[in-house]
Amino acid sequence: MIVILLIFLCAPWLVLSNTSEEEIGEFFKSGHTNNWAVLVDTSRFWFNYRHVANVLSIYRSVKRLGIPDSHIILMVADDMACNPRNPRPATVFNNANQHINVYGDDVEVDYRGYEVTVENFIRVLTGRLPPSTPRSKHLLSDERSNILVYMTGHGGDGFLKFQDAEEVSNVELADAFEQMWQKRRYHELFFMVDTCQAQSMFQRFYSPNILAVASSHVGEDSLSHHVDPALGVYVIDRYTFYALEFLEKAKPGSKKTMGQFLKVCPKYQCISTVAVRTDLFQRDPNQVLLTDFFGSVRNVEILLNTLALPNITLTSDTCSKSSCGNEEVSSRSLKYADQFPMPV
Amino acid sequence: MAATMKRILSVLFIYTSTTLNLNIYAEVVDDFKEELFIKPLPSGHVYFHFQFTTTWEADFENPKSFEHYRLFPKSLGHVLTTYKVQELHLSQTQGLWRHDKWGYPVSSAPPGAELWVWFQPSIKSLDDTWSELVNAVSGHFCTSLNFLDSKSTAAPRWSFRPHGVASDGYSSFSKFVRYGALPREIVCTENLTPWKKLLPCNTKVGFGTLFKAIKLYDANYHSLGLDVRPVCRDSDCKRTSIELSQSLSVVFDPSVKNNEHQDWSLKKILGDVLSSRCPLASSSKIFVDTTSNIPKSIFTLSPDPDSVETITRGGEKRQYAVYDVGLQTAGGRVLNLGAKYDNPVQHNDIIPPPIYAQRYITGYGLEQGGVTCLIYNNLDTNLTVIYMETLPWFTRFYFKSLTIVNQNKQIHPYKVHYIPGKDRSRSYHLELVFRLRANSVTKISYKFERAFLKWTEYPPDANHGFYINSAVISTVLPTASNYTSTPQSSSSIETSFQDKSENFFLRIHTETLLVSLPTPDFSMPYNVICLACTVVAIAFGSIHNLTTRRFVKLDPSKKRGLLAKIKAMFIKQKNTKSDETSEKETDKEDEKEKDE
Repeated sequence: MIVILLIFLCAPWLVLSNTSEEEIGEFFKSGHTNNWAVLVDTSRFWFNYRHVANVLSIYRSVKRLGIPDSHIILMVADDMACNPRNPRPATVFNNANQHINVYGDDVEVDYRGYEVTVENFIRVLTGRLPPSTPRSKHLLSDERSNILVYMTGHGGDGFLKFQDAEEVSNVELADAFEQMWQKRRYHELFFMVDTCQAQSMFQRFYSPNILAVASSHVGEDSLSHHVDPALGVYVIDRYTFYALEFLEKAKPGSKKTMGQFLKVCPKYQCISTVAVRTDLFQRDPNQVLLTDFFGSVRNVEILLNTLALPNITLTSDTCSKSSCGNEEVSSRSLKYADQFPMPV
Repeated sequence: MAATMKRILSVLFIYTSTTLNLNIYAEVVDDFKEELFIKPLPSGHVYFHFQFTTTWEADFENPKSFEHYRLFPKSLGHVLTTYKVQELHLSQTQGLWRHDKWGYPVSSAPPGAELWVWFQPSIKSLDDTWSELVNAVSGHFCTSLNFLDSKSTAAPRWSFRPHGVASDGYSSFSKFVRYGALPREIVCTENLTPWKKLLPCNTKVGFGTLFKAIKLYDANYHSLGLDVRPVCRDSDCKRTSIELSQSLSVVFDPSVKNNEHQDWSLKKILGDVLSSRCPLASSSKIFVDTTSNIPKSIFTLSPDPDSVETITRGGEKRQYAVYDVGLQTAGGRVLNLGAKYDNPVQHNDIIPPPIYAQRYITGYGLEQGGVTCLIYNNLDTNLTVIYMETLPWFTRFYFKSLTIVNQNKQIHPYKVHYIPGKDRSRSYHLELVFRLRANSVTKISYKFERAFLKWTEYPPDANHGFYINSAVISTVLPTASNYTSTPQSSSSIETSFQDKSENFFLRIHTETLLVSLPTPDFSMPYNVICLACTVVAIAFGSIHNLTTRRFVKLDPSKKRGLLAKIKAMFIKQKNTKSDETSEKETDKEDEKEKDE
């Protein structure tokens, strides 16, 4: 009663502030309720250290901004952290000054080593996995999920190489995304690719609600950033380095927009030209929050109707303190198995 | 107005209270112990073994006991009930345990991943359940155990008997057990993370705070172990409990960075000190093996131990310094347990343990090869051993080449269990039981043939080679020299202090082997195209010329020199030009005629 009185007293003030807030609210409204991320590194061997550092940097950002491990599918084709050539075991750095260990203390890799294949990747996206696959390897998205798909490795005009043994073509990828759309497995999808001639990977997309960015145009190579003399290999690619710089400044409640993210890494920094595809995306990227794809900010729908839940009292199926201890007691003594079944 | 109404409604919280009368008073009785066993090794290394034992008074056969969980992790319990598992043993190891220098570990593990499971007798379709279980465990622990299919799984007959309570009729049936190993499997932080999450106190308090991946993986040997088995609930053993034993074994070398001094401390090696004790644990203790301090003190421990236990096990005298973590960390103190050595490490001959083995590949070339295993017996008595080998199908084993030799005398095994492999469907499984002579070396050797794989069966890094699982040697020792395992009744280290048995079961794993198979050159298609096109261009061009060229007879008397030939060329040209002009004139005349 008192609460209602107070609200009526403050009503005029509330109305005034409400309209401007609501306008801003409409501006940034997104229809998604959960976030998923599929992060793929397709390269094997020590000299491709930078691709593993790329994907782990994005993994770290995505986790920091709120997406939990259960909603991230991380595919890493080779082990760099515990590689015998790594002078600092259990660490992967994306910078020669070795400030941040992107491998972290609580990483969970879902597909590792030989499991990173084109077949597994397409099956994860389309959901056509065998029934015995564990839950952590499934992409359990629904029609209100925003999915971030990040791929890095070696690529060419129209294909991306998986582990030096097979390729995924842009046509296959476009068809996989169309399958996802028809099965209502995503609400909006953000596709990021950091390879050579990366633009070719999203040229064939034809499903709605996809926003795509690539680190180079067709005919251009994406370049790596710098060498770590302690490791002897390049540690990060240019586009991901500058993208990470941008993401490190974002916090979970950040109001940065996707439009700002798409402008990351101009030509003088990246040397290759960043390509963007927005024609399939219905909203204006300048009005889409960064955390719509990289974080896990959830919109909660408030129901205005009451639900009547049944009053359940569990019957005598349960046991009480006295009756619970009655298990079957074997009449004869049990014993340990003989570990060495031969005469000594 | 509508906006304010919405606002009012959203401010007024709607409570829906459910009234569920929960009369469940299921008693969940479980006990958790955390222990750390530290043993300085004579080679200058230090062996740390973290042991977390959860004993839960529940019965595997009773599905109701798996409805309520307290300290036992629910995710693991779910896996056990869904796949009707009675015993599960998983180990993930990085590095090789050097038996000759370090003695015996508390639990032996081969490099890579190894999983062996005993299923409940009520199970149907065991092979399907095994493939599903393997997938579930792989997702749980972030390993690629899903590669353990029928090609790499075996059912050992004598080597991997149940470690827990089991009836004789059940344990002699090897149809309930499945064994698989992946020697290539990498162990890194992503395997430590889910393993840590199963601990009741996680990494917040207690020994979990010492788990820093950067230090744990910078070691000579690192092994994560998970064992679930039924144990006797009490001494009459009328009922069973489920025991979950999680172990982390690490071997560090402190003398490398310390100018040859073996001084170690928790802060230096693990990166942190102990400042708390897990409140859910009934016992939280550290045991340091100070047997090497008898008779002369080599190192001094700081701080002073809470108690020193001297025990005799299997005829060997041992001394342990015991620290109670609760007492040491009470009142806000921290425990930085360390040892200081007076002298630098002496690299003398180390007395090897009673039994150890060494295995290697012999032969040359890519067609055939051989494997030899040397088993050293340093005891004064003969010993019976069970030797188990699992070979992949592409290294085709020649059974008649198998020989066991001891001091130039052939030894015939008492029992042999051999299942030959089948290409692309089953691996070779061999188990031998034979006797080792006292104080001697026994050599087992056999030959194999390397198969040609189809080009799609090669892994992406085919030139690395293919791995062969380690061999498993099981025996019973009459003495506890170098022996650190716990008795069969419990995995808790403290129980080994009261162990009065006279026979000690030992299992050791040998090295894994790396075999090169004949590998095609995968850059071949490019080379083939270049070569084929060159051959076609040269060969086809020549043949075309030969077949279509017309040969004109030349008069040999009209030999012409070079100048004459050049003149002839110019004359030819003039002739053709004049022909052309005459043609043009005739054309023009024709045209003129037409016009007219």
